[in-house]
Amino acid sequence: MGIIECKSICKSFGPKIALDSVSVDIPKGKIFGLLGPNGAGKTTLIRIINRITIPNSGEVIFDGRPITQRDVEKIGYLPEERGLYRKMEVGAQAMYFAQLKGMSQRDAQRELKIWFERFGIQDWWKKKVEELSKGMAQKVQFITTVVHKPQLMILDEPFSGFDPVNAELIRQEILRLKAEGSTIILSTHNMESVEELCDNIALINKSKLVITGGVNDIRHKYGNNNIELVYTGENALTADASLFDILSDDNNAGRHTAVLSLAEGVTTNDTLAAVLSQNITVNSFKELVPRMNDIFIKLVTESE
Amino acid sequence: MNLNNLSIIIGREYTTRVKKKSFLILTFVVPVLFAALCIVPSVIMAVSKEESKRVAVIDESGIVLPFLESNEVVTYADYSDYDTDSVKSTLDELGMDALLHVSRLDTVARSLTVDSYSKKPLGIELVASIEDKVNDAVEDYRITSYGIENLDRIMDEVKSNVSMTTYTLDESGKESVSSSEVYMVISMLLGMIIYMFIAMFSGTVMSSVIEEKSSRVVEVLVSSVKATELLFGKIIGVALVALTQFLMWIVLTLVIVSVAGGLIGFDKITESASMTDPAAMMSSMGVDPETVGNMGMNMDLTALTAAADSTAAVSPMAAVMNTLASLNYVQIVVAFIIFFIFGYLLYASLFAAIGSAVENEADTQQLQIPVTIPLLIGFFIAFYSFKAPDSGLVFWGSMVPFTSPIVMLARIPYGVPVWQLIVSIILLIATFAACAWVSAKIYRVGILMFGKKSTFKDLWKWIRQD
Repeated sequence: MGIIECKSICKSFGPKIALDSVSVDIPKGKIFGLLGPNGAGKTTLIRIINRITIPNSGEVIFDGRPITQRDVEKIGYLPEERGLYRKMEVGAQAMYFAQLKGMSQRDAQRELKIWFERFGIQDWWKKKVEELSKGMAQKVQFITTVVHKPQLMILDEPFSGFDPVNAELIRQEILRLKAEGSTIILSTHNMESVEELCDNIALINKSKLVITGGVNDIRHKYGNNNIELVYTGENALTADASLFDILSDDNNAGRHTAVLSLAEGVTTNDTLAAVLSQNITVNSFKELVPRMNDIFIKLVTESE
Repeated sequence: MNLNNLSIIIGREYTTRVKKKSFLILTFVVPVLFAALCIVPSVIMAVSKEESKRVAVIDESGIVLPFLESNEVVTYADYSDYDTDSVKSTLDELGMDALLHVSRLDTVARSLTVDSYSKKPLGIELVASIEDKVNDAVEDYRITSYGIENLDRIMDEVKSNVSMTTYTLDESGKESVSSSEVYMVISMLLGMIIYMFIAMFSGTVMSSVIEEKSSRVVEVLVSSVKATELLFGKIIGVALVALTQFLMWIVLTLVIVSVAGGLIGFDKITESASMTDPAAMMSSMGVDPETVGNMGMNMDLTALTAAADSTAAVSPMAAVMNTLASLNYVQIVVAFIIFFIFGYLLYASLFAAIGSAVENEADTQQLQIPVTIPLLIGFFIAFYSFKAPDSGLVFWGSMVPFTSPIVMLARIPYGVPVWQLIVSIILLIATFAACAWVSAKIYRVGILMFGKKSTFKDLWKWIRQD
């Protein structure tokens, strides 16, 4: 059962339809990628889950029952457009956001101290936000999103604005939060991080849900069942009509790189066994799965 | 509404503002100014005496000079044997501040002309005093010219010097001496202060909404609390700041006035003030007596001056004191707080809605117009109310909710029937409730609208949207 189930969500702003009967199921304890081109309706969906916007029809189920205003305390939201009070001190500001999420003053103080130490920014407590660089402010904002230990975190482009070192820090924190049992919704255009971090995704385009499911399932579904084989040998590999076909074979001084297309219903093991029986040395044998990037482009252009 | 969230928001709005330097400065400087306004005019009158002037007089008529008696303010010297132009050019060498030239007597018109020449302009009081004396001289000449025995004594007896003392009657028929200028000043002050407070603090709410929107803090906030909680938390927080400031002003002003009064000695101040004429007092308070006259006050300054001189009449300072004592301060303060709170709530909610529709302060101008105009109209009617406190315009101005907070406050010193106060307050509260409901709808949608400049059409669309 998902922590969030969106059931046939419809939302329109005047004549403009933002979401057209979108249903997604976000499993607990996993990282869920919310993908889609700009203006597809991702932000509207996120705002509906956050109860910032109320849908015209459909409902959001949180942890098995219809979501209520009290449940937003269990959600942490990092919007794409970040913002903090520029003239307010970092510490006071973090305390404010934590308390609005229902934390007591004592708990907020204690947890914030831990987070500030973890990020090595203890001495920023008394600084005003306007004195911080953009990256520094992002760190503070990330802390305010997660300090109340939300069951669900919604991170919209969490890596934008971070240098590679800090982006890695955030990535590790996301994985750590997942390991601690949090569910994370990741909305991003960075398909590499989707492949690397997400367990499941939903792709929205033009206010409609295009596809949703496990990342691996989707990649395999849109894969052509191809294998990349690198081998060395006197003779070139020969095709076996019942098992596989050779789409290409580049010979580079005895080192071959071939792409095999498997026949319907043939497993990779059967193919590997057949390849090994030929008089060649296998250097690498790799399933060719399409990049999320390619799937994204393909699905979005198809649905246009 | 979640009261816990609401109180956290109010807490932030309040503490961040109260800690601001500008708040502290305003809170402590204004009472000093208020206290100065109370004390300084009387102190100035008590201590400042103009430096004595020396006036050279060339009297070709021969009748004026005997009337020009020197005193501690001015010394007259007879230069009648000298040439006008040479005295004029050598004033400094002669040690004279001014030359007074009295023309030959015109025996047909039985009058004369007087000119004065000086490097620095002569003070109003000195000019008035010289004119008085010259007139005395001419009158005396004319009386003598009739050749009637004892005519001068008869004329003195005929001269009348009656001034009106105004009493106001309270319910029980008890009469008290009143000074209508005091009512005017209090009425203007109250109207101005409440206008300032409403405009200033509603503006604060608007900027604060814009700040949250343009810095994008708002999206995080509304993911934690409802938009209405945020809106009303902000409005209430700022209202508490305003009330804090107001109460601090009252307390600090009282403290400063009583401490300063104790140091200087209040008796001395009031004593000296009661001897000075109201025209001088008003001008030293920065009010030009002539403008006051033009404003249509039923006040005869010369009569009052005369009254000050005559021991029989009530001294104007006593009337001022009497009027000040007769005012119902509890009613004023309570009415101020009630009308400020609801007037502010009404305007703050409207300004917040405007703020939510724009991304920076510069874009507010067009949207602000329908809200600023009623506020300004209220201010102008309030200014009119001391002229005609019982006129229809002022009455309706104090009833219509958008102008009532300001106009009613300006009316209060003149006495307002309780039923009118109650009706006005009820109308104001009802209007506030309706406007707050509409504003909340605009605000909820507006704060998340970015990129395009909103128009009234958009606002209307947001109101109808659910």
